[in-house]
Amino acid sequence: MPTKKVIETKKVSRVFRNGDIEVHALTDVDLIIEEGEFVALMGASGSGKSTFLNILGCLDQPTSGEYYLDNVHVNKLDKNQLADIRNQKIGFIFQSYNLLSRTTALENVELPLVYDRTGRFSNSKEIAIKALGQVGLQDRIYHKTNELSGGQQQRVAIARALVNDPTLILSDEATGNLDSKASIDIADLFVRLNNKGKTIVMITHEPEIAQFAKRMIYMRDGRILTDEIIKDRSTKESALKDLELTS
Amino acid sequence: MKQFLKIFKVAFQAINKNRTRSILTMLGIIIGVAAVIMTISAGEGATQQVQDQISGLGTNLLMISTKEEHRGGINVRMGRPIEKKDLDILQKSSVWMSKISPLVAIGAQVIGAAGYVSTTVYGVSNQYFDILSREIVSGNAFTAEDVTTARKFCVIGETIREEIFPGQDPIGRQIRINKVPFTVVGLLKEEGEGTMGQDQDDIVIAPYTTVQNRLFGHRRGYNMIMASALSEDHILDAEIEATELLRESHRILDQDEDDFEITTQIELQEITGNVTGILTIILGAIASISLIVGGIGIMNIMLVSVTERTREIGTRLAIGARESDILTQFLIEAIVLSLTGGILGIILGIIGNQIIFKATGFYIPTVAYSVLIGFGFAVLVGVVFGYFPARKAAKLNPIDALRYE
Repeated sequence: MPTKKVIETKKVSRVFRNGDIEVHALTDVDLIIEEGEFVALMGASGSGKSTFLNILGCLDQPTSGEYYLDNVHVNKLDKNQLADIRNQKIGFIFQSYNLLSRTTALENVELPLVYDRTGRFSNSKEIAIKALGQVGLQDRIYHKTNELSGGQQQRVAIARALVNDPTLILSDEATGNLDSKASIDIADLFVRLNNKGKTIVMITHEPEIAQFAKRMIYMRDGRILTDEIIKDRSTKESALKDLELTS
Repeated sequence: MKQFLKIFKVAFQAINKNRTRSILTMLGIIIGVAAVIMTISAGEGATQQVQDQISGLGTNLLMISTKEEHRGGINVRMGRPIEKKDLDILQKSSVWMSKISPLVAIGAQVIGAAGYVSTTVYGVSNQYFDILSREIVSGNAFTAEDVTTARKFCVIGETIREEIFPGQDPIGRQIRINKVPFTVVGLLKEEGEGTMGQDQDDIVIAPYTTVQNRLFGHRRGYNMIMASALSEDHILDAEIEATELLRESHRILDQDEDDFEITTQIELQEITGNVTGILTIILGAIASISLIVGGIGIMNIMLVSVTERTREIGTRLAIGARESDILTQFLIEAIVLSLTGGILGIILGIIGNQIIFKATGFYIPTVAYSVLIGFGFAVLVGVVFGYFPARKAAKLNPIDALRYE
């Protein structure tokens, strides 16, 4: 079965200049991620994983090197084209949810469709309700974000990332603000989305969450240190059992 | 266009979600606009009222009086008194003045049926009523013959009638002015407050001959001579003519200055125009201060709200909003808030003017330019200070905007 490259980076580097000081956040990173992969991106603070994720998410541009997203050479795009790429091909999930306050779950999920210029979605409300169903919030559609728990808010954020049917889902420590139980639920949700064919790249600090992924990349000092297939992947059941044993 | 409509909806949602902030922003604009409208209109109203009263004072009025100078805080009479000789020459030779009356005034105690009152008695000729357009509502004015024969007739104002003949017809009744008996022959039409707030009905008018003979004993001079020019176009002619006649009568040499003063209605209007002009400037200054304060309030809230929403802007950018989408949204928000606030401010200003009118009887016309200034400024400030911080935020790198605390 021929596979499709969702992500391909060639010698991607990112240098931050702060006055006279140069910080090499990323150095010559080569990476290929294919459709249907579920990648956990790990590393200590300052290892460059967030910088890398921002570049993958078209929020930032590499200082040198080439980045192809879904075979589109991203480096050559202008600001508006990048915005459109983010809108059409990427779903972003943040540690602090970044939902609009005092706004219903439905309105939050509909938000990416507001900025859709392709006209591929005819009924945004219906699509948003479907996305909320996918994350198990079908009975919280009209709840405002401040009436939801942390786990539920992160599910709304995931629904928002799903609603535009993206090629790639990027998660920057989605479970960082959640307790263990809620973290496992979110990780399990990623697994189920991945099983349906979504390509996911997630940053995490927690090895037990990383263990849900299919492939783990470990970064250090702006380079990829290890890149391996995870053999004994966690499931929701196994993770919950481990949680009981440790507590 | 479809995109614009979607953003329009988002902007309305945002206004609605941040109701308190939206109301506060609008409040600044509302108060600013209303304050400007009300203060400028009040100034204009005062000016108009004063001008109306001056033109109602009498038609084509000239007032001739002795020159006075301020010395050490008191008025010192500089010239020769205006007297019978001057009146005679004016009456005999004037072509540009149609009506002439001398005026002598004396403070007096007036005793009537129901009590007494202190007031000012004006001694004038029968032409006085025409010069100052004062109408008689009951009875008659005294005649030229009454003046020549110095009859003890008088005409009283409404305020006096209320004091000494409450609820009664005063015509034909006897009163005593400084113990001298007079017969009331006429009642003046009520005029209300004058330009300077004085009661124009607190007045007793009698033939100047009678006042001079009976109330002063013997006095030659008049306080002034009042006259009306043939028409408004001839006020200047009348003034020149009166000057020449009086210089002749006072035997003033060519190189010397006049020892009398002639005030015309035009000059009066100019003087009060200056006064009310200053009033309008002061009120305008107050209005500008309230505009500036309101403007700073608007700026503040707009700036804070954009800063506060930097993360929101970052989120929108991250999920694919273009810079122009963000800008459009914030611009629509600013315009909607400013316009709504501006319109509410206009309504409040007009209602405020009405309330002042109802409460004090002081009519304030809502002046169109005050509405334009207030509305224009508030909307400009609202839009500018809603737009520029948003532009700054929209130009931010989405990562920085997202990290913003």
